[in-house]
Amino acid sequence: MSTVIQNLLNGAMMGFIYALIALGLSIIFGVMNIVNFAHGDFVMLSMYFTFWVGSLWSIDAFATPVITFPLLFLFGILVYFLIIEGTLRQKYVTQIAVTVGLLTLLRALAQIVWKAQPRALPYSLIQGSLDIGPVTILLSRLVSAGVSLVAILLVYLFFTKTWQGRAIRAASDDLDAASLMGVNYRWVYAFSFGLGSALTAIAGGLLMSFQQVDPTMGLRFGLLSWCILALTGLGSIPGLLISGVIVGSAESLAMSLWDPRARSLIIYLIFVLVLWLRPRGLFGRK
Amino acid sequence: MKDAQKRLISIGFLVVALLLPLLFRKNAYSMILLTTIVLYGVLTTAWNIIGGMAGQLDLAAGAYLGLGAFTSGTLLIRWNITPWVGMIAGGLVATLFAIAVGFPLFRFHIREVWYALSSAALVEVLRVVFLMWEEIGGPVERFLPFHTFSLYHLRFASYIPYYYIMLGLLVIALLVNRRIRRTRLGYYLLSLGDDEDAAEVLGVNARAYKLRALVIYAFIVGITGSIYACLYGFIHPMVFSSPISLEVAILGIVGGMGIPFGPLLASVILVSAREFLRASIGGQLESLYLAIYAVVLIVIALFKPRGLAVLIQDVYARIRAVLSSAEGRTNL
Repeated sequence: MSTVIQNLLNGAMMGFIYALIALGLSIIFGVMNIVNFAHGDFVMLSMYFTFWVGSLWSIDAFATPVITFPLLFLFGILVYFLIIEGTLRQKYVTQIAVTVGLLTLLRALAQIVWKAQPRALPYSLIQGSLDIGPVTILLSRLVSAGVSLVAILLVYLFFTKTWQGRAIRAASDDLDAASLMGVNYRWVYAFSFGLGSALTAIAGGLLMSFQQVDPTMGLRFGLLSWCILALTGLGSIPGLLISGVIVGSAESLAMSLWDPRARSLIIYLIFVLVLWLRPRGLFGRK
Repeated sequence: MKDAQKRLISIGFLVVALLLPLLFRKNAYSMILLTTIVLYGVLTTAWNIIGGMAGQLDLAAGAYLGLGAFTSGTLLIRWNITPWVGMIAGGLVATLFAIAVGFPLFRFHIREVWYALSSAALVEVLRVVFLMWEEIGGPVERFLPFHTFSLYHLRFASYIPYYYIMLGLLVIALLVNRRIRRTRLGYYLLSLGDDEDAAEVLGVNARAYKLRALVIYAFIVGITGSIYACLYGFIHPMVFSSPISLEVAILGIVGGMGIPFGPLLASVILVSAREFLRASIGGQLESLYLAIYAVVLIVIALFKPRGLAVLIQDVYARIRAVLSSAEGRTNL
């Protein structure tokens, strides 16, 4: 029993990070309806940036987003203007072709720059664990979950309380009406894409505090965040958190109770089942 | 182009393809390169049925390929059953799997991006399942029996026989494509690919026809998988490969959706370009070839979204226009 609780806790804490990754994708998909297959590779890229920044200037993994966040934001805007904007008026097939090309490109670049071997940072300053009854909580996981939660909360506040956030939401509801009200859609889109990518920088920093990175791990994060998005439906940020926790704990339970290799299996099973049974997600609008 | 003209050109290409091994028979690398190009040609031509015509962006080519490879490979290793039978068995297993997956997917109206994602997830699911399933798969390669030349075992020391077998499969895949394109099924599929809701309103049974397209595609890819296993001489869960699945789809898209020879064209041009890059610069900087290849794919998809085949048709039309106007002047 205590292993179950332990794994549920671990998975739930991981789920907060997953929710943060999926939030980035949700912004990109929800606001401009762009199908970004390369989102997981953005996570991979930010983990490598974290590795770079962290080992170059010996900065703790938890502090690296200070540098990688703006970096990924700029990268997202660059990708938007170079590649994504040209596909806005195309069929979704073209968008998938282009973003799959981007996925291949990012993976190849990562292999060129960082070689095809796993990289990790030295241990983070935040170490140790809390013992609560029969379960142990690793501090690094707890802090990661906390940081994700704060980041998600900030994004939520941004979308509900600020003028820019409201403009983005208006543009995602009705682009033409928003344009007439003076919202510049090009910048809204570029900003949303940048924000969606930049959120992976935070997630990358958190993940690197207890995990290594290799060039092929992007697809897993990509499918995982699409799975969370399918589970949530569009437009619900609290729903993303719950779905992230569901996916994270399912993954962790499958690893401990069934087979460590079944880790991704359970995620894809959830994904397929949700698509069949609740195509709008559990918390979707409309 | 007229039909007779088209036929002449196709036969010309076929003769060239048949004669190519004479040129490269001494060089095993060139032969496996040619075989790989034809292999991609078969996969993308089959993909054209479900992806190009029916507009369902299937990313599960690796799943059907792997099922075919494992079925025929296991039959050969365990019970010494010839891959000629294994091929059909592999195709059938892939087909059954496609029905089992496609039926609920189409039943629940899963489309577009969600269909693409769930099919991409299938490949990963199957890879993990076969990794965990120790009796059939498992993490260790299972080798097919070695023979220098055995038609029964479909094992050859040279790549030339594989090339011809693959070429035969390619011709079949192309003929199937053309046949579908010219019958009612093809028009239904094209209408579904264009606008599914409109097609359904006009009385096209979307579920039945999409499933039919998926089944034909899965069967061809399953057979290809069986030959794939013999070609490489072992089976391993890595054949359930996401990169191959993604590449098949992307080649199908940049080749020209729904045009029977489009995906083949993209495979011939782009796969040989990729392999040329790999051979020429792969030694100095690993993966640089992949980066260049990806950039080429992005550029084609961005600037020629209707595909390479359309591009070539346009160029052909322009040449004809120039030629006929030149003729017109001389006549004057």
